[in-house]
Order: sequence, then structure tokens, then C-alpha cells
Amino acid sequence: MVGTPVLFIAIPLLAAFLIPLLGMIWKELVRIVPGLVLTYLLILAINLLNHVLVHGPIVEVIAGWVPPIGINLVFSAFSGFLVTLMIFLGLLVWIYSYRFKRNVEYEPALKYFLMLMMLITGSVGIVLTGDIFNMFVFIEITSISAYGLTAFYKGRNSAEASFKYVMMGSIASTFLLLAIMIIYSQLGTLNMADIARKIHLMNPTLKIVSYIFFVTALGIEAEIFPLNGWAPDAYAEAPGPVGAAFAGIVVKAAVYAIIRYTYTIFDLSSSFSFLIIIGMITLIIAETAAIRQEKLKRMLAYSSIGQMGLVLVAFGFGTKEGVFAALFLMLNHAIIKSLLFFSGSYLVYNSTEKNIKEVNGMSKFLPVTSLLFAIGAFAIVGLPPFAGFWSKLSVLTAAADSNMILIMVLVLMVSVVELVYYLRVVNRIYFFKKEADTKPHKPTFNALFVMLVLGAIILLIGFYPDAVTGMLHKASASLMDKGQYIHNVLSLK
Amino acid sequence: MKKVLVILLLAVLGYYTAATFFDIGFGQPHFIKGLEPVKDIYLAQTVKTLKVSNAVTSIVVNFRGFDTLGEVTVLFLAVTVLGSVLYKKRHEVGERSVLFSASSIVTSGSKLLFPAIILLGAYVFIHGHLSPGGGFQGGVIIATGFLLMLLSYENYSVSHTALSVVESLAGITFAGVGLLGFLHGGTFLQNFLPTGVLNNLFSGGIIPIIYIAVGFKVGAELTGVIYTVLHEKGQSNG
Repeated sequence: MVGTPVLFIAIPLLAAFLIPLLGMIWKELVRIVPGLVLTYLLILAINLLNHVLVHGPIVEVIAGWVPPIGINLVFSAFSGFLVTLMIFLGLLVWIYSYRFKRNVEYEPALKYFLMLMMLITGSVGIVLTGDIFNMFVFIEITSISAYGLTAFYKGRNSAEASFKYVMMGSIASTFLLLAIMIIYSQLGTLNMADIARKIHLMNPTLKIVSYIFFVTALGIEAEIFPLNGWAPDAYAEAPGPVGAAFAGIVVKAAVYAIIRYTYTIFDLSSSFSFLIIIGMITLIIAETAAIRQEKLKRMLAYSSIGQMGLVLVAFGFGTKEGVFAALFLMLNHAIIKSLLFFSGSYLVYNSTEKNIKEVNGMSKFLPVTSLLFAIGAFAIVGLPPFAGFWSKLSVLTAAADSNMILIMVLVLMVSVVELVYYLRVVNRIYFFKKEADTKPHKPTFNALFVMLVLGAIILLIGFYPDAVTGMLHKASASLMDKGQYIHNVLSLK
Repeated sequence: MKKVLVILLLAVLGYYTAATFFDIGFGQPHFIKGLEPVKDIYLAQTVKTLKVSNAVTSIVVNFRGFDTLGEVTVLFLAVTVLGSVLYKKRHEVGERSVLFSASSIVTSGSKLLFPAIILLGAYVFIHGHLSPGGGFQGGVIIATGFLLMLLSYENYSVSHTALSVVESLAGITFAGVGLLGFLHGGTFLQNFLPTGVLNNLFSGGIIPIIYIAVGFKVGAELTGVIYTVLHEKGQSNG
């Protein structure tokens, strides 16, 4: 073994404290160090994931106190898969934005890279931790960096978007603390496995209230329908790569948290149908809202919300196929939506309004970027030779296995809506005349490299879905096996 | 009509939430019967194993030290974000706005008080494992000392570079001590120093070291926050 899970948190934190000092020596280090840290963590994550897929989960104790006394981290096939995905995307975001703000002052660049690294660390922490209060701390780290990144361009709109996000995020933290308080007041423990073992002793009213508080709090980060008011503004106002980081990393972490509470900690039987209902409402409302958007990034944001709704629906089936479909969907969404944000922000690079009509005729000026955007659009809708097809197919078969024909019909109908608004953009890119006042901006070498990597992965998964399905099956099995999780954590001596 | 409905809905929700929290009965001696709450283990181990007389400190720095590292990072990030959001304004406007200067009673009084405040802050965080208080509280006390100086002297200035260096070094100490524990004992933040005798200043292993680092860090960060915000020129009095 090359390391242990705690390094995913300790190394970036150490680096974050070091970076301001290193920046005093050589300013370029501020940009380089986060990349080195992320590369190291990616290697570590892949090694640990390989180990875990063969030998079973790693449970790491912190400060020498075994659970339930101390805090512990769990690197299972499920959490390990998500950690690897997040760090991989984080590294791509770093490569994409390496030359970002190149010609501007040193201080904003320092803060941008610090916040980006902390955003990734916080999300990884949410996924790894085995303690509900520790998760709260990581959610704080993630959301504070997200507020800062949203307000990075100091305009009036980004300040408004960030303020909206801060207000909702603070309410979320309050609810989360209340929920943690209810559980601690009853069971006297904060360890997830210990709570899962004792939860049946809890008064059902208190159990339901705390579950609802958890879902409300995490739903704000996971963009569940009535709680996602911040998301379109934040995506539209934040720098382009940050949109990809939100969609690919932060939202995934929040969905993970909801799923961990539903599957492992609480034993409420009705929570699965609850997930299906809120997922379905989110999906339908977001996709119908997306079709009305006139700004490209807002459209992508609504599409991202809709995809998260679909993920929740798939988790709500409560079957192994459903979990598999949901994980596949999360993987594809992370890769495809990042590609769409990366290429989309070059299509409307020099515009102030970022309207969809400004992409008209861009294929002649930015052929590669346009092609990659089109691949992303087709893939996310679920057209055959691309990655998205397999995940959507697995959602539909999982629905059929659970005899939820109505859900199948609704998902297919919503996919048509999705197809319409994505094809509309692709159509504008390829078959419309360029607007007179738009100035195309050539992507940098780094950006092009990142987009090509993502495009290649989409095609690879599209043609050889077996490359990932084996790992996804193991990850879903590890999530479903609650007894094993409790045993793994609490059997440590 | 819509507003009435909203108020009604909130009232119903509020009633049930409040009822839930009344049912919990805070302050009772035990949780659900038959469980072994972790608090009993914490209280027993604090004196027995860690040789620390302040149980709050042992929980914050040792049992749940990982959370504290996270909280320290939250504060660090909050300062970073604040600096990032106010960056442009700070550089365009620059100078502090002063409505009227402080009287000589305030200026000479604060000169007298300042060393005492710093001393009290240092005392609070150095004795964090022995008496009430600790790194966070001590750091805040130190920051109030700088606030007093900034309020009484118009051109009192704190070096941003110095603050940033102190902040970084303190953070590195915390994370570094954690990693040393990882190398020595196999788990992150594990105690690797002798715990000493209960109630001695040099006791508790790594707990005082971490709390002193936290004290410096919180003090530097909150001073930085005050300094950043003070140098914002307001609309009304500018």
C-alpha cells in the first residue's frame, strides 16, 4: 500500500497552509502546488481503489481512538469510486484553469487556487468520513469555498448569486446541526455505523424529523427541487471551470451524503419512495425550466439539476440495479457536464450576456470545441454510441425491474425535452450564421487537452461500457451491504 | 392570501419542530436507556489516559481533533474568501475612513491595556488544557487587543505579510503535528509525546502544542478580518 485515506485530507490542508508562504518565494508555485497535490492524490486514490476492490474496505482510525469514540474514515468500493472520480475531475479543472488570470494580479490567483483545492478537499472529506459531525465540518469547508468561487468575478450579479448561495447555505448548516443534535441527544454517539446499529431504538417521530432535516440541509447542496434557487445563478456567475467543479464534485458529494443517510444510517422504509418523488419532481421541473433559458450556462445548470433528480430516482428504487444505474449516471454526468461547461464557456467566451444565440455559427471558428460540445450534448441526452446511453438504459431497465412503468414513461418523455434544448444549441453552432458582434476566442492548449481527454473518455465508455461496469457493480454492492459496513467499522480494536 | 397560507404553513411546521425539541428533554442525565454514550468514555479517558483536567479541551483537541483541524480550515477559508471578495475595493479605495479621531484618554488608555490584553490571550491559550478557555478563545482575545489599537490610532497598521506568515506557520504546525502522530503511532493526530502529570503546565502530550498553534492562528486571522474590513471606505461617511 502507498498510503492511507487520511492523506486525502491531511496533504491538501498542509498544502493550503503552505501555499501563501511558497507564494512569497516564487509566485508560480501558487499555481503549481495544487496540481502536484492533486496528481499525488489521484495516484493514491487509484492505488487504494484497486486495493479495496480486491481486499475489501479500509477503515482508518484518527487520533488513536477506535470508533465509536473517535472519528474514522471509510474508504470502501463505493466511497473510493467517488473519491477517485472527484479528484480526477479536480485535476482536470486545475489543468484547465492553470493559465487562468495569467495576466492579472497575484493575489486573486492565490485565492482562486486555494479555494479550488479546498472545494475538492471538502467534497472528498464528505465522502470519506464515517462521522456525522465531521461531515458537517467538511460541508462547511466545501460551501465556504463555493461561496468565494461564485463571487470571484466582482460584479453586481455574482455578488447577488453568492449572497443567495450564502443565505441558503447558512440555513442548510442550521438544519444539519439540528438534525445532528436530535440524533446525539437520543443515541449519545456521532459515529455513522454506531448510529446505524442503534437507530431502531429511537422514537419514530424524532427519527423522521431528523431525516427530514438532513435531507433539507443536504438537498440545498444537492440541488433538489424546492431548494435549488441558488444553483442557476451560481453556475451562471462563477468562472467557467468552477461550474464544472460544482456539477462534477460538490453536487456529487451532497448526493452521496443523502444516499449514505438513506441507505446506511436510517431504517425508514418510506424514504425510498420519498427519494423517487422528490427526484421526479426535480427532474421534470428542471428540464422544463431548462428549455426556456436564454443563457447557455443557466441552461446547463438546469440540465445539471435535472440529472441529479434522475440520480435520486434511480437511488430511490432501492434495488441493486437501481444503485448501479445511479452510480453510472453520476459518473457519466460528472464527465459529460464538465465537458459541456468547459467547451460551453469557450463558445461564449467574449460575450457579456452569455446568451445562447451568441454560439451561432461557431463551428467554423472553433471546430474542435464545437465538435466536443456536440459530443457532450449527444452523450448527456443518451444517444447511442456515447457514454450517456448506457447509464440512461440502465436507469430504464432498473425501473422496469422494479415494475415502475410510470417512471419509465416520464423519464423517456423528459429525455425528449432534453433532446430538444440540446439539439437547439448544436443546431445553432453548426447551421446558423455567425452574429456580427461575437468574437470567437481560441481555447488554450491546456483547455483543449482537458476537453479532448473528456471526449475520449465519453467515447471509450460508450464503446466499451465494460471498462467501468465491473467497478460500479462492486461499488453498488458495497453500498447495499449495510451489515458489513457496520461490522467493518465497529469491529476495530 | 398567499402570504396567509405561507404563514399558516410555517406555523404548522414550527409547531411540530418545537414540539419535537420539547420532547427531547435536554439536560436529563442519560440518553435512551441501555446505550453506552461516548461522553462517559470521554470523561473517563480525559483524566486517566490523557492527563488533561479540562474535558472540553481533550474532546476538542484529541478525541475530535480532526473536526478542529477542519474548523481551523473553515476560519482560514473564511478569511481567504473575505480577502478575495473585498480585494478590488481594498486596492481601489485604499485608505481608512475616520469620522473623528479618538480622544487622548482612549489613546493613552489603550496603550496601557494592549499588553495586558495580549498577555491574557496568551495565558488563556497556553493554559487551555488546565483551565477554561483554549486556542479559539485566546485567539479572539488577542484580536480584540488589535481591534482596540486600530480604533484608537488612525494610522496604526498591521503587516499583512506578517499576519499571513503567522497564520500559515500555525496551520502547518497543527497539520504537521498530526502527520508526526501518523508517522509515530500509525494514526493521524495521535499523541506521541509523554502525557506528564495531571495539572502540570507541561502535560497532555500534543494537546497544548496544538492549542497554542490554534491560538496564534485564530488571533492572526481575526486581526486580518478586522483590518480588511476597516480599510473599506463606507458610502455614507466617506
